[in-house]
Amino acid sequence: MKKIFYILSILFFAQNSVAQVNTTLVLSPNPPASLMQWGVSRETLTFIVFPSAQGIRGEYKIKTEIKLSDGSVIGKTDLNKSKTYTLSSATTTFNAADVVPLESMIFTGKHKTSLEKTGKLLSDNYEICVQLVRPPDFAPFSEIKCKNFYLAATQLPILMKPYNQEELDYDIAKTTIIFRWTPVVPKPKALVTYKIMVFEVLQNQNPVQAVRSNFPILTQEVRGVTQYIWQPRGVVDLSDNNAKDSAMQQRKGLDGTVKGGSKKYVWIIQSFDNLGQPLGDGNINADGVSEPTVFFVRQKVKDIKIKDTDKQ
Amino acid sequence: MELVFRNKVFVLTKTSKMKQPIICLFLLTSLGLSAQDKKSKVSVSGNMGVTYEGYGLNQNPTGWTGYSQRKPWNQVRFTFQPTITTPKFSLPFNFNFNTTPTNFIGPYAGIGKQSFGQYITNPSNNFAVNPKYKWAELQLGTQYLNYSNLSTGDVGVFGAGFDLRPDVWRLKFFTGVSQQGVNFFSGGANGSYKRKNWMAQLGMEKEDSYALLFNFAKGKDDKNSIPLPPPGSVLPQEGFTMSVVGKVNIKGGWYLSTEGAQSIYTKDLFLPTSVTAVTIKPFLDGNTSTVKDFAAEGMVGRKSKNFDIGVKVKYIGAGFQTVGYPFMQPDRMDYLLNTRFNAFKNKTNVTASIGQRVNNFSNTALKAKQFIGNLNWFSQINDNWSVNINYNNFGFQSNSGINPFGIKNVSNDFGIAPTYTWSNTKMVHLLSLSYNYSKYDERDVITGLTTSNNTHTALLTYVPSFLTKDLTPDFSVMYFINKLPGFKTTLATLSTGLALPAMKKKLQLRGQLQYTFSKNNTFTANNNFITSCTIDAKLNKKTTWTNFLSTNYFKHGNELGLPFIGANYLESNFRTGLMYRFGK
Repeated sequence: MKKIFYILSILFFAQNSVAQVNTTLVLSPNPPASLMQWGVSRETLTFIVFPSAQGIRGEYKIKTEIKLSDGSVIGKTDLNKSKTYTLSSATTTFNAADVVPLESMIFTGKHKTSLEKTGKLLSDNYEICVQLVRPPDFAPFSEIKCKNFYLAATQLPILMKPYNQEELDYDIAKTTIIFRWTPVVPKPKALVTYKIMVFEVLQNQNPVQAVRSNFPILTQEVRGVTQYIWQPRGVVDLSDNNAKDSAMQQRKGLDGTVKGGSKKYVWIIQSFDNLGQPLGDGNINADGVSEPTVFFVRQKVKDIKIKDTDKQ
Repeated sequence: MELVFRNKVFVLTKTSKMKQPIICLFLLTSLGLSAQDKKSKVSVSGNMGVTYEGYGLNQNPTGWTGYSQRKPWNQVRFTFQPTITTPKFSLPFNFNFNTTPTNFIGPYAGIGKQSFGQYITNPSNNFAVNPKYKWAELQLGTQYLNYSNLSTGDVGVFGAGFDLRPDVWRLKFFTGVSQQGVNFFSGGANGSYKRKNWMAQLGMEKEDSYALLFNFAKGKDDKNSIPLPPPGSVLPQEGFTMSVVGKVNIKGGWYLSTEGAQSIYTKDLFLPTSVTAVTIKPFLDGNTSTVKDFAAEGMVGRKSKNFDIGVKVKYIGAGFQTVGYPFMQPDRMDYLLNTRFNAFKNKTNVTASIGQRVNNFSNTALKAKQFIGNLNWFSQINDNWSVNINYNNFGFQSNSGINPFGIKNVSNDFGIAPTYTWSNTKMVHLLSLSYNYSKYDERDVITGLTTSNNTHTALLTYVPSFLTKDLTPDFSVMYFINKLPGFKTTLATLSTGLALPAMKKKLQLRGQLQYTFSKNNTFTANNNFITSCTIDAKLNKKTTWTNFLSTNYFKHGNELGLPFIGANYLESNFRTGLMYRFGK
C-alpha cells in the first residue's frame, strides 16, 4: 500500500513539476542566418505558452538551447540574466527576440567568433530546444520542445557580364546587350525573381549616385534564370549631346590614340523571394541589391577611323 | 590684382585679399562675368546651362500595358560649374540639380514632395563649393569624397570640411548628412532614418612616390528622426571603419599598394546593449547586433611603356560593412593577375587578366568559386588591315548545400573583328566585320542537367570619310541569333547615320535611322523603327543650343496572343538645352 502511495505521489509531483504548462514551438525550416534578423522577421519563430488547465500560477523563464546535429550545445540562455515572466491565464505568444534574446545568450567556440564577426551562425544543420523553467532553481516547468533548422548565409548575385569597366561596341549594344549574373547562393527552393536595372551615369555623377538618383532606362524582372538579353531600342544612343559631354568622352586607348564618344552606364540586380521580399541576409541596405557594375558603350569603329585618318 | 570685366578694371588691393572670393562670387552671379583680358590674373572657366527633357509613351491597343516608362515625363536640369582662378586661389562651383525627383533605389526611392533638407541632400542634386588657397581646400556642400577603397568613397554627404596638404602632410575632415529622415508612405517612399557622417584622413603622401594614410569613417542614424519606424527591414544603423593605406613606387616602374581595414557595425540601434557586445570607445558603443570584421587588399606590379604586369588580392570579411561603400559585397576573396604589352613596334597590343573570386569565403559548406579570364588582342597588320580578338570566360561553381547538385554556370565569349581601310585623294573607306560567339551553360541543381544558351552576333560596318567634304555617313548591318532548348530569337538590324555641318558650321546636324526585324520561335516577326536627330547650334562664341529628338516605334507580331496581336508603342524623347561656356 505504501509503495502505491509513493508511486502515486511521485507521479503527482512529476505531473505538476514537469508538464504542468503546455507549449508549442513553430520555426521556419530555413530561417535567416543572421540571428538579429530573427527578431526583425517575426514569423521566423513563434513560441506559444498556453494557460495551465490546473490553474497553476507562477513565474518562469524561457530556457533555450541551440545544438548541432550531433547534440553538442553551441548556444544557450544565461538564465541568471534572462527575463522572468509570470504565467498568465491567457495564451502568451513569444517571438525570436524573447526566445533567443541575444543580450542573454551564451555562445561558444567558433560559433561565438562567427556571431561577433558577422552576426550569423555558421552554415549548418541545427536544433533549437525551448523549455520553460521556474526560478530560482530553474526546475522544468514545461516539456522541452525542439525543432530542426538549416542555416545558410545568402549570397547575392555577382554581376558577370558586362563585367566591371567593360567596353561594349555601340553598333552591337544599340541592338542587344546580354546580361549575366550568378544565382543567389544557396539556391532557394522557390524561384528567385531578379530585377535588372540599368542607369545612365550622367555627367558629374559617380555610379552609385546614378543608381540612387536616376530613372532606370531598363527595369526588367525575370524568374529563375540568370541571363537576360536586352534590346535597348533607342535608349542607348551615342548621337545625343550627352555622349559628347560624357565623363569618359576623351580617353586614351591602349595605343595612345584618343577614343571617340562613349557613354557610361551602371547596372544592378535586385533579388526577391517568392513573396516579393528582398533577399540578402542582413546586408547593409536590406534591399537585395548586388554590388553595382559599370560598363561603357563606345563607338569602336570610329576609334579606328580616328587613328587611321590621323595617319593621312 | 586687376580684375577686368567688360572693359572695366576692378583693382583688388592686398588688404582686400580675404574678400576676393566674395567679390568674385558677387561679380560672377550678379553681373554675369563672361570674359577676362589676357592681362588679367583672374580667369573663369567652366560652364553653366539648363536642359529640358520631355518623354512620351503611347501604347496600343488601349488597355495593353506591356511596355514600361523609361524616363521621367518631364525633367529640367540645371548646371552651374564655373571655376574662378587666381595664381594662388581657386573657387570651383559644382551645382547640378533638377526639378523632379526620380529616385528608384536607396533611401529616397519613391519620394514625392520633398522638404528643403531632403531636396538638398537628395543624390539627384549637387550643391558644392570648394574654395582652395595654395594647399588648403575648404569643402562645402555635397561631396563624394573617396578616401580609400575600403573606408569611404561611394556616399555623398552634404556638409562642411577641409582638405589640407602642406608639403607631404595630409589632413582631411568632413562632416554632414548623407540622408534625411524620410517617412514611410504606403506605395511611395520606403522610409529612412536621418544619417550623419564624418570622415577623416591623416598621414603623409608624395604623389607618384609613397603614401601612408590613416582613414576613419563613421555614420550613425538618428533613431528619432522619423515619428514611426518604417515597416520591413529599414533599421537605424551605426558604423565605424578605420583603415591604413600604404603605397610605394620604386625605380623601374615597380609599385606596391596595400590597405587594411577594420569595421564595426551595428545593424539595429533599437536592440539592447550587452556586456559582451563589441565596442570601440569612443567611436561606437555596441549592442547585440554589433559585428566586427576586417578587410584587406594589396597590389604589386610593374608599369612600363610597353609592358605592365600586376597582381591584385582583395579580401572582404563576412562581417565587414562600411557606411562609405553601402553596396560592398562581403565574405569574398579575389585574386587577379593583369598584364598588358605592346609588340612588333607597337603594332600589337595585348591586355589579359586571369583570376578567381571566392564567394561565401567564410563558409566551407557553401563556398562558391568564380573563375575570371579576359584577353584582348589588337594587331595592326599593315596599312590596310587590322584585327581585334577578344575572349572572356567567367565560371561560377558552388557546393550543393541542401540541393542534390551544386550551382555551375560557365560563360564563354569569343570575338574577332577584322577591319580593312583604304583611301584615295578624296575618301577614306573603312570596312569592319565583327563576329562574336557567346555560350552560357547552366546546371540545374535538382536534375544535374546542363542547359546551353548559344548566341552568334555578326556585324558589318562601312564608314566612308570624305576628305574634301564635311559629310560623315556610316552604315551597318547586324545579325543576331540566340538559341536555348525550346527557344530561338533572331534579330536583324539595319542602321545608317549621317553627320554634317550647316550654316557656315554654326549648325551641327546628326541623324540616325535604325530598323530591326526580330522573331521569337515561330511567331510572326516584330518590327522596330528608331529615328534620332541632333541639332547643335552655336549661338555665339560661348553659347550653344543643343537639341535632341528620338522616336522609337515597336510593333509586336502575334507572340502576345489575343487580344494583343499587333500591339505597338511609340516612345518619344525630346531634349533641348542652353549651355554657356565661361572663359576663352
